[in-house]
Amino acid sequence: MIRQAFSDLFERLGSTSRRGIRPATLRESSLRSRIMPTPIPRELILSLQHYPDTSAKDVSSMKPCVEVGEWVAKYQLIAREKGPNATRLHAPTSGTVQAIEEIPPAVNGQRARLAIRLLTDTDERELPLEPPSDYRSLAPEQMIQLIEDAGICGMGGAGFPTATKVRDALEKGVKTLIINGVECEPYISCDEALIRERADLTVQGAELLQAACLADDCVIVIDNAMPAARQALKEKLQGSAIKLQVVRRRYPAGDERQLVKAVCRREVPNDGHPTDIGVLVQNIGTAVAVYEAIVHAKPCISRIVTLTGSALLTPKNFDAPIGTPVQHLLNLCGVNENQHEFTIRGGSMMGQYLMDQAAPIEKTTNCIIASNNAEIPEREAEQACIRCGYCEQACPAQLQPQRLLASIRNEEWQDTVELGLDDCIECGACAVVCPSRIPLVSYFRAGKEIHNEDHSAQRQSRHWQERFQFHQYRIKKNQEKARSAKVAAQSAGEEQGFSRDQARMEISAAVERVRRRREALARETGHGEEKS
Amino acid sequence: MMKQRLASSSPMQFFPLQTSQIMLLVILATLPAMLVATWFFGYGVILNVLFATLVGVLCEATISRIRGRSVRATLADNSCLVTAVLFGMTIPPGTSWWLIVMGMVFAIALVKHAYGGLGQNTFNPAMAGYLFLLLAYPLDMTSWHLPAAAMNFNSASSPLGWQGFLQSLGCLFPFLPLLGDSLTVDGLAMATPLIESKLAAGNAIKAALEEGTGLFARSSETGWELINFAWLLGGLFLLVTRLISWHIPLSMIASTLIMSLLYYSPSAVAVLGTPYLHLFGSATMMGAFFIATDPVSAATGSRAKIAYGIIIGVSLYSIRVWGSYLDAVAIAVLFGNFCAPLLDRLLAPRKYGHPGLFSKLLGDITTGKSSP
Amino acid sequence: MTPLAENLFFQLLVGGSLLGSLLCAIAWGVAGLRKRLQEQRFLVDRINSILPQTQCGRCGHPGCRPYARAIATGEAINRCPPGGDRAIRRLSLLLNEARVPLDPAHGEIESAKVAVIREAECIGCTKCIVACPVDAIIGAAKHMHTVIASECTGCDLCIEPCPVDCIDLVERAPAFRYWSLAALATDPLSGEPCHD
Repeated sequence: MIRQAFSDLFERLGSTSRRGIRPATLRESSLRSRIMPTPIPRELILSLQHYPDTSAKDVSSMKPCVEVGEWVAKYQLIAREKGPNATRLHAPTSGTVQAIEEIPPAVNGQRARLAIRLLTDTDERELPLEPPSDYRSLAPEQMIQLIEDAGICGMGGAGFPTATKVRDALEKGVKTLIINGVECEPYISCDEALIRERADLTVQGAELLQAACLADDCVIVIDNAMPAARQALKEKLQGSAIKLQVVRRRYPAGDERQLVKAVCRREVPNDGHPTDIGVLVQNIGTAVAVYEAIVHAKPCISRIVTLTGSALLTPKNFDAPIGTPVQHLLNLCGVNENQHEFTIRGGSMMGQYLMDQAAPIEKTTNCIIASNNAEIPEREAEQACIRCGYCEQACPAQLQPQRLLASIRNEEWQDTVELGLDDCIECGACAVVCPSRIPLVSYFRAGKEIHNEDHSAQRQSRHWQERFQFHQYRIKKNQEKARSAKVAAQSAGEEQGFSRDQARMEISAAVERVRRRREALARETGHGEEKS
Repeated sequence: MMKQRLASSSPMQFFPLQTSQIMLLVILATLPAMLVATWFFGYGVILNVLFATLVGVLCEATISRIRGRSVRATLADNSCLVTAVLFGMTIPPGTSWWLIVMGMVFAIALVKHAYGGLGQNTFNPAMAGYLFLLLAYPLDMTSWHLPAAAMNFNSASSPLGWQGFLQSLGCLFPFLPLLGDSLTVDGLAMATPLIESKLAAGNAIKAALEEGTGLFARSSETGWELINFAWLLGGLFLLVTRLISWHIPLSMIASTLIMSLLYYSPSAVAVLGTPYLHLFGSATMMGAFFIATDPVSAATGSRAKIAYGIIIGVSLYSIRVWGSYLDAVAIAVLFGNFCAPLLDRLLAPRKYGHPGLFSKLLGDITTGKSSP
Repeated sequence: MTPLAENLFFQLLVGGSLLGSLLCAIAWGVAGLRKRLQEQRFLVDRINSILPQTQCGRCGHPGCRPYARAIATGEAINRCPPGGDRAIRRLSLLLNEARVPLDPAHGEIESAKVAVIREAECIGCTKCIVACPVDAIIGAAKHMHTVIASECTGCDLCIEPCPVDCIDLVERAPAFRYWSLAALATDPLSGEPCHD
């Protein structure tokens, strides 16, 4: 115990500095207008595979449960989860399933993925919802079931199924529920707009989540750059047991692990989840979706998306149905074509360039930036690392990016592991501050890929080794068995049931059969060629 | 261009400052010290800096050509300008041209490019070049060829006139027939900016004010102190603009101060000096803010930077008081450079969510393996 | 007044703390060394873990472990074609030997392969099943056989015994990779290398 106390003390001393960076906020323009409901587009594209923005790895996939040509009603279940980490998908409006086909990758590094194309009709005929008669008396398990049925996944970015997360928290027992309203990316304002305009739903959603995971207390965390949201929350939180905490705006303060550290003053173990230290973190958008799911039994069919950037005439936040093509939203904002040079999906810190304007809004898409080179200039050419250490001061994972870079360039994979390549959260703070404009994040992603390949090759070879050992063991055992059987047979004076000569004859007969069949086949194809 | 952009990865926004601009700002921060030094020692200081810059740029261009690199890209990072300015300010004004050429070529060609260019050099090029000259030509490096007006500190005339300029130029290029034989300046054996007078004790500025001679009256004691304050001013500019962090200067100055306080004794001031003298009587401020903080050869992490500053501060005091070398700052910084890679390794920050050094150490000792 | 540094008590304090930290450092170093020694105890196991475990026998040994044992007693490290350059590099690092190219007498570096049986032609002789070192082929006598692709090491030991030559070795699909180090090392604008 003394040892624990000592090491705690020394670790506090070791991490006094405040990491991260403070980019200027660029949220004002998109917050000028209220959240706008989206007119239903002609076609919705509902992706059945979900990738996070920064990696090529398939995180979850779904299995369609409708046929091509089938008419579906609003709220109807159209795809079920396949494998772990997946959620359900519901029709955002009524219409006909036009196709279930592969759509081109939305961002670079993604592969083509399967999607349902839904041709919408104007009727918006919906399935009758069956809300629970008294949602306040529901047991945690029932609440989680409702969340699962609604197909809610984390709206912050990673898109992990909420029901799985809450269930895990319920099993392990959590002390604190953190509702994450911190938006650290410069452009994204969807969370702020949501709190500002739907603060009551946010608070009720938080209360329901707290009841679902049986947490002792619940904290809604926002940053100090959203006064309107703070005011709205303060009013709604009067008389509530939920606390409001305001943290300094800092990138990446909204990252799950950074938030846990800021709120609870404890760090999440590197190989664990926040639930391991009794904390559950949920996004503010998720809380609202949970409110809808539990109180109205309404599935998750839309989300708040920020549309911003200097190429848009009226940047604003949309309440967009899942599957809306990006182009549809851009048109609603009004695009200044002369100034529109590229589109970014996600924020300017962790997002990616959108390759296909027809790509759909997904459950995790929080922002679309339509911009140009004047607003977001291209990265200048890479220069030599001068070891200034700015990256080390900025790294929220407390790594040494400059040493990681050197070890990746020299392909010393053992070193990269020791330096904590796996702990890198790819937030990009190091690349932002680098005065030599080194694309550090790209190096780290490349390093991770190569390292993962190495790792899987090693796992494979270990597996083969086990199989080989079993093979040898089996052969030895069979030999022993045969020997003892032979001895037994001889002692019994019986004839052998198996004759080596007979077997050889059978094999040669079979070889002859195949030869004949091949000749016949060759003759047929020969005729075919002659004919043509 | 569009295609290139699509293939690049996040983040898409950057902080505006680039390496080349950082270097220019560092040069800007040396200006106060350069001006004060010129005020006291004449145009020799500026001529040193300009000539060293010329040599440095030529040398850098030649070598990057030989190494098959783009000359423009290599020169564009402005790093050789910083080396030249710092080198030019450390050698005594009035040094002959060939000494500057040798020192700069040593610094750029051997110390910097032979180790792989910017970012790869283990040692601070300016300091290594200076030390090379000091070891090879100790006599030349300690004799000052100052214009006549600057030699006699009590004279009312200024070394900044046209005559002073011609005299300084004549010292730099002795072969130029600029001046008649009558005006050739004599050498004055004196400490270089990095070498400190062990005998000078006490507060010269205070004395100057009390005697009413004025702060900028040309005397060697007030000269050194004011130059140090000018370096401090430039250093504070670097700190305020966040170009350097506080760790190295603070720990270096603090450890020098603590060492001098520990050994302070009024009866031994002539030998051990006073704390004030150790901070402002020599090149401590320049070393703390401009030389020890050279990013390439210094430690990078916060903890490592503090240890690095302490190593330099303690060895600075030790060399100055007990060592037999003429100079302390350059050797102390080079000694720190030796330690920097090791410090970066040993004092690496604790990774988020990982056990810290202390609990790892405890775990290692108690169980014989690292704790999970 | 003597300087503080010459005070006996002060000297004892500083000297004692320096000595204490030195002892701590030594204890730490010894603990680390002990751990490293424990790890390195079984050289054959470590060599074996570097070898690719295809069990192909192209090195002249019946399986990977016998070759690992031979390497541990001094055999050349460049006789494993499936391991390729990667295995040689890691072996040379482990054993502190020179990095040599692959011995062409034992084969050439190829991409990962997997065996596929043309099922229409298989006569069910079970000869390939006997030959397979990792039991990746299933089937019964006089019935069609097939290869479990995920278990196949691509060792080609089943090709030769097949009396009707109905087994092919096809290339495994390479892992999908997007970020390339080679592309990063060159400046996209000028095409020159941007670092040393």
